[in-house]
Amino acid sequence: MQKEEAFVALIKQNEGLIFKITTMYTDHRADQQDLYQDIVYQLWKSFDSFRSESKISTWMYRIALNTALTRIRKKKRLGNSVSIDQVILKQTENYDQHFEERLKIVYAQVRKLNVVEKGLIFLFLEGKKYVEIAEITGLTPTNVGTKISRIKQKLKQQIIKK
Amino acid sequence: MKALWSDMSDQLDQQKKLTNDIIIKMTQEKYSNKFRTLANYETFGAIVCFAILIFLLLNFHKLDTWYLLTCGIITMAFMIIFPVLTLRYLRKIKQFDIINKNYKEVLVGFHKAKTNLLNLQKAGVFASFIVIFTSAAVFAKIFNDKDFFMIERGVKEYVFLAFTLVFVFFFSRWGYKAYQRIANSAESVLKELE
Repeated sequence: MQKEEAFVALIKQNEGLIFKITTMYTDHRADQQDLYQDIVYQLWKSFDSFRSESKISTWMYRIALNTALTRIRKKKRLGNSVSIDQVILKQTENYDQHFEERLKIVYAQVRKLNVVEKGLIFLFLEGKKYVEIAEITGLTPTNVGTKISRIKQKLKQQIIKK
Repeated sequence: MKALWSDMSDQLDQQKKLTNDIIIKMTQEKYSNKFRTLANYETFGAIVCFAILIFLLLNFHKLDTWYLLTCGIITMAFMIIFPVLTLRYLRKIKQFDIINKNYKEVLVGFHKAKTNLLNLQKAGVFASFIVIFTSAAVFAKIFNDKDFFMIERGVKEYVFLAFTLVFVFFFSRWGYKAYQRIANSAESVLKELE
């Protein structure tokens, strides 16, 4: 029971993180929900291994990103699919339509990147240092730095083109 | 962009949506396997192949010439090899270790497993081109006791045969190209990680 309680608290604390990853790696609400559930399930499965690890954020990011990578299946949904049209809930006190629009642009541009770039820029935007990104991704810190500056350029060009 | 992202993170932190109950439900197996749908689809295909295989084995004695026997063996081999290998690769993909591996290892391993499956499916597209004829010969013999290669055909039958060939050719080419596109994109991701 104690384990469950600890896990629930952890997920509640980090639900925004999972939400961001699922929004980035999926295009439709139903896929997003599936991925969300899958990430929580994988985190639960590996919860014991985390308890023996030191850094919770590294563990969470790694499992969440790995799950997103292996669960993406490109499919064209027909009929009832609902596209992800909102990032911030309207119920929040600070809801701002203009802010939401800008977020949509950011997500749309990030979604255009390939899986490697997507993972790297996500960790960068999350404020992770190159060393930590390297630890999560398995790349060297130098490689991370080079790739991130390339991705920044790419995003800049994408936004200018738009 | 980073500031915008940070603002979003702050706002997301405020909008708590999950309840204890929902989280506990998510930890249960029934939510886990999106891939199961795919595996079920493939498993159904494999069951159909194995049923055909058993049927062919039971009627194998009806194939009374060397070429019909060859057709029977080719058809049966197809019915065993492709479903077994497909299920094996799918299992490999499904059971991929995402807990102990980092992003790079998962990407490389997962894309390699996917490429193997794609190569098998590409081979399947071409094999089915042959099997469509071997199975036609086998079933013509088993069901109607007719030798597919000796049947006298009129213009109508030849036109039908030509249409079938053209259709299978274009279908195979389309299938091959689709698989090739996916394989190429997987390849480019792997190259980027090198």
